[in-house]
Amino acid sequence: MPTLIACFKWVVDEAYIRRGPGGALDFSSVDYKIGEYDRNAIEEAVRLRDAGGGSVIGVTVGVPESAKGVKDGLSRGMDQAFFVSDPSFRDLEPSQTAAILAEVIRTRIPQYDLIACGEGSSDLYAQQVGPRLAELLGIPCVCFVQKLSLEGGTLRAERRVEDGVEVVEAPLPALVTVLPDINTPRIPGVKDTLMAGKKPVTAVTKEELTGRLEGALKTEAMTASRLERTGEKLAADAAGIARFVDSLRKSGWIT
Amino acid sequence: MPGVWIVAETREQAYELLGAARALARDMGAAVTAVVAGGSATPGECIARGADEVLVLAGLAPGEPFGAHLPVIEQEARGGSPELILLSATARGKETAARLAARLGCGLCSGCTALAFDRESRSLRMERLAYGGAAIQKLAAPSTPVIVTVPPRSVEPAAPLEGRQGRTRELPAPPPSAVKIVERKPKEKVAKDITEARVIVCAGRGFERKEDLALARALADALGGELGATRPVTEELHWLPEDLCIGLSGVQVKPELYVGLGVSGQVQHMTGVRGAKVVCAVNRDENAPIFALSDFGIVGDLYDVVPKILEALRK
Repeated sequence: MPTLIACFKWVVDEAYIRRGPGGALDFSSVDYKIGEYDRNAIEEAVRLRDAGGGSVIGVTVGVPESAKGVKDGLSRGMDQAFFVSDPSFRDLEPSQTAAILAEVIRTRIPQYDLIACGEGSSDLYAQQVGPRLAELLGIPCVCFVQKLSLEGGTLRAERRVEDGVEVVEAPLPALVTVLPDINTPRIPGVKDTLMAGKKPVTAVTKEELTGRLEGALKTEAMTASRLERTGEKLAADAAGIARFVDSLRKSGWIT
Repeated sequence: MPGVWIVAETREQAYELLGAARALARDMGAAVTAVVAGGSATPGECIARGADEVLVLAGLAPGEPFGAHLPVIEQEARGGSPELILLSATARGKETAARLAARLGCGLCSGCTALAFDRESRSLRMERLAYGGAAIQKLAAPSTPVIVTVPPRSVEPAAPLEGRQGRTRELPAPPPSAVKIVERKPKEKVAKDITEARVIVCAGRGFERKEDLALARALADALGGELGATRPVTEELHWLPEDLCIGLSGVQVKPELYVGLGVSGQVQHMTGVRGAKVVCAVNRDENAPIFALSDFGIVGDLYDVVPKILEALRK
């Protein structure tokens, strides 16, 4: 029976980030979520378990408040979770996150078949943690997967690249990063949420980790980008349509 | 040799990366090394475009993926001690860069939007987008090497110069990869490249049925433009090919005019149109974020408004 690992991250929902005074990021009214792409990773691991048996272990790294994300993840069908947390884990760099995940998987999950990650996190979207993790664990890596199946000790995956699709095979254990269209993540119901509270969660503290934790790159600033425009709203009446078309003409592209 | 390295899979990538590398190497007072796949840019072409050294990757057996080169590239990088390694932010480039960064234990700036060498502090200054494009992240590297992936078509390709000299070396064949390609499905030429389109009409989730996209297509035709889409329309509903998906994780466009129909305006998508000169929208929800990110827009049902716009355009 395969052991499937899904890695995920509890992140700020970027839709609620505002531009503060002087271009600072205003996080005062933000909500949090499991990263969009990570939901596909969880769903794919759960789908494979439902099809072929085994169990799904979620692993996440974050600040203690990310406990909400652990419960959210478990409500999406995972069987148990490892929650690595510390107040200093708020702004980890991808190299640090990958190192922590690698150590926890190596020391606490002795036997596994597949690790599924999202193609990138919803906050940094550096798209590094999956492939870095595969290298640190010394296992094969297949990124940007749109279709996946396991057969015996082998995975078969469709990987999307610029010039088409590569159908690849790799021996297990292996790591994949998945694209959003690999599946449609479930929306947990009340029963799923209630059941999530009863599933086992193993807490891992920073003190229990032995690896070096310095980041490779330093974030010097994080400022709001400028996307705002003049935002003139017009009504859907004859005057509004006329003004809309007039503005289109003024933009110089219609004669 | 130390300095700036590029790792390229195609000729187009090699020229673009050499364009970036040459400018940085000048500021750094460093040499340029091009690591190129055999059959892409030739050593002569690379040297004419700024390479002082060309390392040619060995040809791969049919089922071997590009990632098979990693152990060889890693070994060369350990021996050559580059300060900076540039790759294209393509699917294979991003994967190779991240795996190489883990092997070398170094930092990686993914999808770099601005890259410069500060001569005073003698350090690299990097920028990239974060939070779906809502933020600009500025990064510095306290140690070398640093790997950077550069979005394709975001830098000017290097032009050839007369009389340049350089060295060339063939790299050994890599050991077999654990990952094998068993089939390649080349992309069917279904979608147009909209990255260079001058007018784009973008269809969002406000469309109720696939057939209704004819309305968006009609407006695109009337404006002499191309059709684009948001992620739900391409990747969830599969109404349009993924090449038309505009956004941070899709294509980034820079048209003179962008018209969003039934597009809510999520930051992830709007980041893909930040290069547009004029942005306008039709959406029935007056609180949709797209209005604040547009130059002008109509609050109304696209099914009612678009036919009227088409009619007004005909006049």
